[in-house]
Amino acid sequence: MALLRVENLHKRYGHEEVLKGVTLTQEAGETKVVIGPSGTGKSTLLRCINRLTEPDQGQVWLEDLEITSRRSDINQIRAKIGFVFQDFNLFTHLTALDNVRLGLTKVRRMPRAAATDRAMAELDRVGLAAKAGAYPAQLSGGQQQRVSIARALAMDPKLILFDEPTSALDPELIGEVLSVMIQLARDGMTMIVVTHEMGFARSVADEIVFMEGGVVVEQGPPEQMFRSPQIPRTGEFLRKISELYGESS
Amino acid sequence: MNLSAWTEIAPHIPVLLRGILVNIELLLGLISLGLGVGVVTALVEVYGPRPLGWAAGAYTWFFRGVPEIVLLFLFYFGLSQFGVPVSAFFAAVLALGLRSSAYQAQIFRGALQSIPHGQMMAARALGLGRVKAIAYVILPQALRLSLAGWSNEFSSVLKDTTLAWGIGVVEVMRQASYIRARNFTLTLPIYITVALMFLVLTYVGNVAIGLAERRLRVPGLEGRR
Amino acid sequence: MKNVGVALLIAVLLAGGVAAAQPKYVVLSDIAWAPFEWVSEKGAYLGFDLDVMRAIAILEGFEIEIRDTPFDSIIPAIIAGRGDIGASGFTITDERALVVSFSEAYWNSNQAVVVRAGSGLDLEKIVSPGRILGAQRGTTGSFWIEDEWVPLGVTLVEYETYPEAILDLLAGRIDAVVQDVDPSKMAVLQYKGQIEIAAIVDTGEQFGFLVAKGDPKGILPKIESGVAELKRTGAWDLLIEAYFGPALGAIEAAWEKCIPILLVERDPLRYAQCLVAELKP
Repeated sequence: MALLRVENLHKRYGHEEVLKGVTLTQEAGETKVVIGPSGTGKSTLLRCINRLTEPDQGQVWLEDLEITSRRSDINQIRAKIGFVFQDFNLFTHLTALDNVRLGLTKVRRMPRAAATDRAMAELDRVGLAAKAGAYPAQLSGGQQQRVSIARALAMDPKLILFDEPTSALDPELIGEVLSVMIQLARDGMTMIVVTHEMGFARSVADEIVFMEGGVVVEQGPPEQMFRSPQIPRTGEFLRKISELYGESS
Repeated sequence: MNLSAWTEIAPHIPVLLRGILVNIELLLGLISLGLGVGVVTALVEVYGPRPLGWAAGAYTWFFRGVPEIVLLFLFYFGLSQFGVPVSAFFAAVLALGLRSSAYQAQIFRGALQSIPHGQMMAARALGLGRVKAIAYVILPQALRLSLAGWSNEFSSVLKDTTLAWGIGVVEVMRQASYIRARNFTLTLPIYITVALMFLVLTYVGNVAIGLAERRLRVPGLEGRR
Repeated sequence: MKNVGVALLIAVLLAGGVAAAQPKYVVLSDIAWAPFEWVSEKGAYLGFDLDVMRAIAILEGFEIEIRDTPFDSIIPAIIAGRGDIGASGFTITDERALVVSFSEAYWNSNQAVVVRAGSGLDLEKIVSPGRILGAQRGTTGSFWIEDEWVPLGVTLVEYETYPEAILDLLAGRIDAVVQDVDPSKMAVLQYKGQIEIAAIVDTGEQFGFLVAKGDPKGILPKIESGVAELKRTGAWDLLIEAYFGPALGAIEAAWEKCIPILLVERDPLRYAQCLVAELKP
């Protein structure tokens, strides 16, 4: 069974329909990269998956659990789905350690000592054990994003959703975040990544999904998408985006 | 003012201190009541369901709009009309405390609204329920941001406690009027003494709040506004 | 102080012992208007009105609790049932009589016009266009100026308290202060040589004790009968002699010494005699 199934997802903001029936399947251990022009519903798609945004129509399944069902405990589901935001959203009043620890003690009800050990291990994994006592404002953007990845990892997620994780970063800080993500992919973490980093997409993704106008236009392995896209619009977008952002990884 | 007035006032200082103790008791009572009710009201206004939010809005509108002395009368005389003969002290704490809660609610509401939406999103994404997210992520930040406004409110309600005499609470201004009634010539020195007492209290209170602010300071939180 | 404390304690204990049999009335008074009611340096409530109420309570077999209440709040409090008797130098007026019931008048109080010493002002010069007169808000002095003299061109400035009016008079911001004769005499005594009484206006003003409208608890007859008894024994005149004239400090000292006779021995006449004797030079 697929780890995650998204079926015919619709979302409308006022008069504008942002998602017009998106269907996706994600296998465990797979890294999927979602690309497309801005405003085409990529972020909305991610948010609908863990219902940070309520979809209007359609279903999302995590294994055999329907996330979109009113009866399911959304907090329990979210605890199993990591989410990494474009602008990090670290809890401003908490140190790096406490940011990682909060979900462990308050959602997973782990004893404090065990939670501390686990949080330190995750900070170590993203190379920031030394910054455990620092507040978000004392960290660079890249460091903040790595802490937020550690925060997601600490929850033992079945899946992590990345919403443009490097878009808010200065160019010289993008690399450190991407290298953490590459390592995660190699370790077999299941990830859906919305990004413009084509280098990352090309080298790490198992599958690339091209979205435009609220629908999936084309999807396939990177080789196929970059070399011989089936739909002309896909090739056009990939060329343009590669010129614009380069391939920084 | 001549020197003799000051030597004459010295024996009255203990009486005035006893009076200001009542003001301090009033202050502690009303500001904690105001804090509790104010935080809840602000939370309801910002996060509660619409109709409750409107009710909270109407609540703050009422208590901010009605003069303090009228509130004091309403609670002291009004409650006894309904068969609840509260003491003057309790009525004063209630009236001034609820009034302060309306102002404190404004302060907290502003602070809550200044917390970026992403904080709530990140908390919810972790699997924290709404209440837990507010308790562990939103409120700790909002309360820190409120401290500055809160110290204004502290100074303001401290002075408001003198209004409690309006319903018969014998506080420092009343003690002053006892002294004055038997010694007209002391009127000015007594007012000056009372003023000094309030200045000292305000100073001590603000220093304490300042210390708390420094202790609770988190890099990057205050600067964000 | 210690003796008074002990005496009061005994009085309270005694009072507690008979409490079951006697009704208890709450007496409301704005206790900052010497010599009718004020708080002594040691914190005791005394004054003519209050001692009269204490004496009546003893004679008529009821208990009282004296509660300090702002003057403006006394009538509302009695209407709201938060007090039973108003004893605070209340002038009997038609307006007040609409909402409360008064006892027979127990005091004639005329208004004194106080001016700065040496100002040379007499009543005729005071009541003339352009003059600024002060009075305590809500008192007869203020009503009198408003009703009688403002039409003649006088300006009225109201104060929360009488002493504030006197301060403004001394500062030269107003020309005269109108207030009841006895408090005025006291002010003149305290600011010796700085202020004087220029005239006394016969307003026909009379004080009464007041109770809830219609006297539902039947208190007024007890007050009337108590006052009559005090007058019959001569205690009434002795109390007047004690309270109106001597300096407040002297009254306080005599009161402390004599009050057990009233509260413990429960003998109003001997109490009044004691006060007067103590105050004899």
